[in-house]
Amino acid sequence: MNTSALLEGLRFVDTFFPSGGYAFSSGLEAAVQGGAVKTSDQLAGYIEDLLRGGMSRREALATKRANRAGATGQISVALAIDRTLEATKLSRASRLASRQMGRQVIRVAADQIREKPILAAYRDEIDAERAPGHLAITFGLTLGAAGWSQEDTAAAFLYQTAVGFVSAAMRLSPLGQHEGQRILGEWLPLIERISRDVDSDTAMSSWSPVQDIYAMRHGALEWRLFRS
Amino acid sequence: MPTREGRHKRTSRETGPSSKRIPSGKRKPSLKKKGPGRFETESVGRVGELKLAYTKRDHRTIISHAYFTTPWKLLPPIYLDDTGAAYTLLVNPSGGLVGGDYLSIDMNVEQDAHVLISAPSANRVYRTEGKVSEQHVNITVGSGAVLEWFPEHTIPFAGSRFRQVLQATLAPGATLLLWDAVASGRIASGERWAFTDLENSIQITTASGSTLLERYVLDPSTDLGCVGLAEEWNYVASFYVVNDATSAEVWTGLESKIAEILDARPGEVLGGVSAGPVPGLAVKVLTRTATDLTAMLDALWAAVREGLWNLPPVSLRKY
Repeated sequence: MNTSALLEGLRFVDTFFPSGGYAFSSGLEAAVQGGAVKTSDQLAGYIEDLLRGGMSRREALATKRANRAGATGQISVALAIDRTLEATKLSRASRLASRQMGRQVIRVAADQIREKPILAAYRDEIDAERAPGHLAITFGLTLGAAGWSQEDTAAAFLYQTAVGFVSAAMRLSPLGQHEGQRILGEWLPLIERISRDVDSDTAMSSWSPVQDIYAMRHGALEWRLFRS
Repeated sequence: MPTREGRHKRTSRETGPSSKRIPSGKRKPSLKKKGPGRFETESVGRVGELKLAYTKRDHRTIISHAYFTTPWKLLPPIYLDDTGAAYTLLVNPSGGLVGGDYLSIDMNVEQDAHVLISAPSANRVYRTEGKVSEQHVNITVGSGAVLEWFPEHTIPFAGSRFRQVLQATLAPGATLLLWDAVASGRIASGERWAFTDLENSIQITTASGSTLLERYVLDPSTDLGCVGLAEEWNYVASFYVVNDATSAEVWTGLESKIAEILDARPGEVLGGVSAGPVPGLAVKVLTRTATDLTAMLDALWAAVREGLWNLPPVSLRKY
């Protein structure tokens, strides 16, 4: 990857990007309130399990495939994987969160990376409600259009997700910044393996029943800091 | 196929013959023809087809077409109440699936028919040295029809390999209640999450084209296929309630009721409910015991029957 492509893509990975991700915990808040995550070790295990079982063959796979669509301009590939991803998201809150963040990404990308017409075309598909516009798809499309590889795109997506969880955990528990960085560092080898090993040509699948249930339970919490 | 289907067409309360012929032209992944006659002999009891069509006739749902091959057996439908709903048990007297088995079910619930499906016992999947045991289910639910699909849970033995693919297609106004549960193994024998691999795919497509897809692939020996946090639980169940003509108000009330049920056994049952990607509700449940699993099934099913139709629960007469 050249420096220009790196910088173009980094904007979308950076927490400064206005995706609205700070408002969502993807079920972590319900898990903390439910007592499943009380310590930093439990947090590490909970998220590691989610990255491995829940997101590797689903979001990471989708991101890779969307990356290829972004690089080659094949909008039908992105549409298909976006709709499949929508079908697998059983929790309403997680589904809506992913779609909202995905729209933020594609709007900025379509406005600013104009030499790649697939980005504007995909934004139009979302606005016309012909595509759900999940974050994994628009993120993959954008970084693919920016010249990032599939593997790097998947790694960036998982890293961004992991940072989001640590950030949410810091607001939900006494977790400090130093401890948050330690946990994040422990996840990096797993993120690398997932990004490398997930075959984007296989069928999408996901296994994280515990986390799926907490994501479903979020809507019934009596008090909430997050929207998912 | 046309010959046999024609022979059994439109006969109510049909139980059908137990044909040993294997239909041609279908994918039977594990059976190789080694010589004249070998194909059929090797296939007996291993490649089982069950085809059922249900029709509403004179306020009652009847089996209008039936066809099955060993190991499937079919009993006449039972009528558990005065709604006219036909109750069918999926009977596989062989006791379970071994490696290389390929069972299929094609079910067509025609317009306005009402069908309840269960099984007399758990679906056991035995250890295999190599070949996968497969079960493929294709369901079509017609306009205004109802299918309540409540099979017993699957028990994957240590060393087993299982693949289930279930696809359901719903017409406008069709209702599907679908329960699917998997045990960690033969728990009483100390076998937990000891299968070689397990793949489960459930896809529900509504008339508008919206789709719900649950698909997991567990191959615990691999990095990305391990069971993870779910290992501390023994049963994993999914419950889907789908109908595109029910008001949002009804769904909201039912969602609250289901959430209450799921919270009844904290620490012993963990469950969640949400509006899914198709019109209706998606429920996930984890339990530690079969008793709790059955209690959840009963309570959830009863809540949905009451919430959607104001009907009482039915007793499936299984003891």
